Order: sequence, then C-alpha cells, then structure tokens
Amino acid sequence: MRNDFAIFIMSYNRAGNIATLRTLEKANYTGKYYIIISDDDPQIDKYKKTYNNKLYIFNKDKIEPFFDTYDNGGSKSCIVYARNYCFLLAKKLGLKYFLQFDDDYIELAYRYPKDGKLKICNIKEFDKIVDITIDFLEDTGALTVAFAQHGDFIGGLNNDFLTTRVKRKAMNSFFCKTDNPFVFSGRINEDVNTYVGLGKIGGIFLTFCDVSLKQKHTQQNKGGMTDTYNEDGTYLKSFYTVLSNPSCTVVAPMGDKHIRFHHRINWNNAVPKIISDKYKK
Amino acid sequence: MAINYNIKTNIPQYEPKNKKPLLTECINVKKYKELKEKILNSNVTKLEKQFLIAAATRHYCFNYSKIADYYAYASPEMQELMEDSALVIIDFNDAIAKGYVKLNKRIEDILEERIGDD
Repeated sequence: MRNDFAIFIMSYNRAGNIATLRTLEKANYTGKYYIIISDDDPQIDKYKKTYNNKLYIFNKDKIEPFFDTYDNGGSKSCIVYARNYCFLLAKKLGLKYFLQFDDDYIELAYRYPKDGKLKICNIKEFDKIVDITIDFLEDTGALTVAFAQHGDFIGGLNNDFLTTRVKRKAMNSFFCKTDNPFVFSGRINEDVNTYVGLGKIGGIFLTFCDVSLKQKHTQQNKGGMTDTYNEDGTYLKSFYTVLSNPSCTVVAPMGDKHIRFHHRINWNNAVPKIISDKYKK
Repeated sequence: MAINYNIKTNIPQYEPKNKKPLLTECINVKKYKELKEKILNSNVTKLEKQFLIAAATRHYCFNYSKIADYYAYASPEMQELMEDSALVIIDFNDAIAKGYVKLNKRIEDILEERIGDD
C-alpha cells in the first residue's frame, strides 16, 4: 500500500463505535488511517484511550478563520471544521493525497449493470480502489473525487447516473491532493456550498458511479451531525447553499411519504460545461 | 463477460450544438434588473446602493450549455477570454473523458475477476 496517502475519518461522539473502521477492515484496506476529532468532543477521553496514536485532535476556533460560516453563529457540531482541518493535517503529516471519510459507513461496494439489473458487490480490495481513484484525480485535474452513495441509484438501471456515470459534485467522501487545496464553506451543507461555489468558477468536483458507499441513516444515527440536523431540519441546511449561490439553487419539497425541504440545483446554471479541445480554435 | 458497460460518449464532456446562440440566450438578467430597480428607487445611501447593486449580480443566471455552444463558434480571442473566465472547461487531450474510461476499465477488470470467483 502506498505511503503518501491516508484516510482521515472524521468522528464526533462515537468513540468505540466507528462503523467506517469495521467497513475498511472488511474491504481489506491496509494503508494509513487517522481518526479526527475536535477538542470539544464529549467522548474525548474515550477516543484517546481507544485510538491512541491514530487520533488527531483539533480546535474549532483555530480553524474558523480559514473559512466563511455564512452566518453569525450557531452550533459548532458541524463537519466543516474537520473538513478544512484535514488539509492542514495532511501537510503536517507529509501526505501527498488523503481521503476524507465520515465515521458511519457500513458498506463500500461496486455498482454495475448486469443481466438487465443494477448489481452490487462488496469491495474486498480497497487498496486498489485507492490507487485507481488517485489516478483518476490526477488524470482529471479535479479538486476532489468522490464515491457515489447508495441513494444515488434509486430506480436502479433507470437512474440517469448509470448513463452519465460521472456527476459534477462531490459529497461525503473526498479524495484530495494536499498541494491542490480548497476551502469548504458554510456552517452546514458545506459539501454542496463548496462544489457549487467553486464549481461555478471552474473547480472540478467529480463523483463516479462505479463505487458506492452506504451510511447509517443520518437522522436515526446517534452522534455525528444528527443533533444539528434534528435541531433545524434540512430546511435551514438547504438555505446555506441558496444564500451563497442564489442564481442556480432553490429550496423545494422532496420525498414521497416523509416530505422535507431540500436544496435543488439547476445544473445548467451552476457549473461551466466540460468540452473537448477539438472546439478550441 | 456479462457486465453490460456501454460507454458511447466522452463522459463527462458536453457536446456543443450545431447552432451559435445569441449572447442574450447565455445569460438571464431578469432578477438582477428587478433588484436593481428596487435598489435605485430606495432611500438607502449611495454607498449602500452601490453595495446592493454589486450583490445583485449574484442573481445573474448563466446558461452554461448555451455558453458552451457559443464558445464553439467564437473567435480565438473570445474563446481565450471565455476560458480565462472559466465559462467553459476545456478537456485538453480528452484527459477527463479518458481518465474516466481508464478508471472504469480497471474496476471492470477487478469485477471480472471477482464475479468469476463467485
């Protein structure tokens, strides 16, 4: 396994219960990984005891000057602090590449069409997937590359994602290059704020459909950002992206039985198109 | 091999249409104009008006498919300026498209081996 890479697992209030570690083990990952927590974590002592030299602790107040929260205060139980800290940590550790993971992944899998159905197959060679994805990051010059999430495939083979295969967004898992840093912004919905905000000025954010991860259900999963979501619902969360990118984002109802408000991006108005150089004169 | 990959196009490239659009089709300024008129008719200070009008440009709504269509027919100088402003992203040597094909092939190779094992 390459030595210039590590996985940063951002955790909060889940010491001893990091599903992502078990999932990486099942995927036979042999590389470096570190647990990232903030110094206001209520389980900090348990984290120290459990993860010892695999643990990095940061202070949110020291990270806040590096990015715009878009507001004048609110809960700091937000992942944006950790996301931005990762770039500093990667530099400190001398890593060339890193992957940001949440702490609640229960499955890492391939998604592929076969015999007219969308199939799933658990990853058992995650080291190879790291190499493949880093090569993709380098080949494309993207700021970051992400895995799909199981929810991206609703509708199976009829889902457009199986045709487009690559989306101009990145959520949840972020492969990053240390010397090509970018800043996550907004207290919440930081992933969407960032891929729209930087995407519209030419930053490339990509999600590919071949590999997918599954999380525990956000609003039933104790710890993490669950408290923040429960407090404000997704209504307020979605408005952070409207605030920063009003020309291409709206808040609209989403869902079937359980209706909730969610951001909706008009992609044709959000990011410039990628076109072949054959059109350049 | 039973995996039905069918990658016909240069993912994720956009294919410009064979018609040059008008520049007015590339941008929608309706919301900006509404806001600007309201700001100009308000009683806030001159400095506040300047700030609000600058902020109203956030509502310029760019149509990036039309912009890419326009780029394909633009002069070399216009193309260069459009690139500088990231109005289009040029995929030099199809690096992005080929990068995905390479990724997909490598994953397909792993899957072939795995599915063969199952």
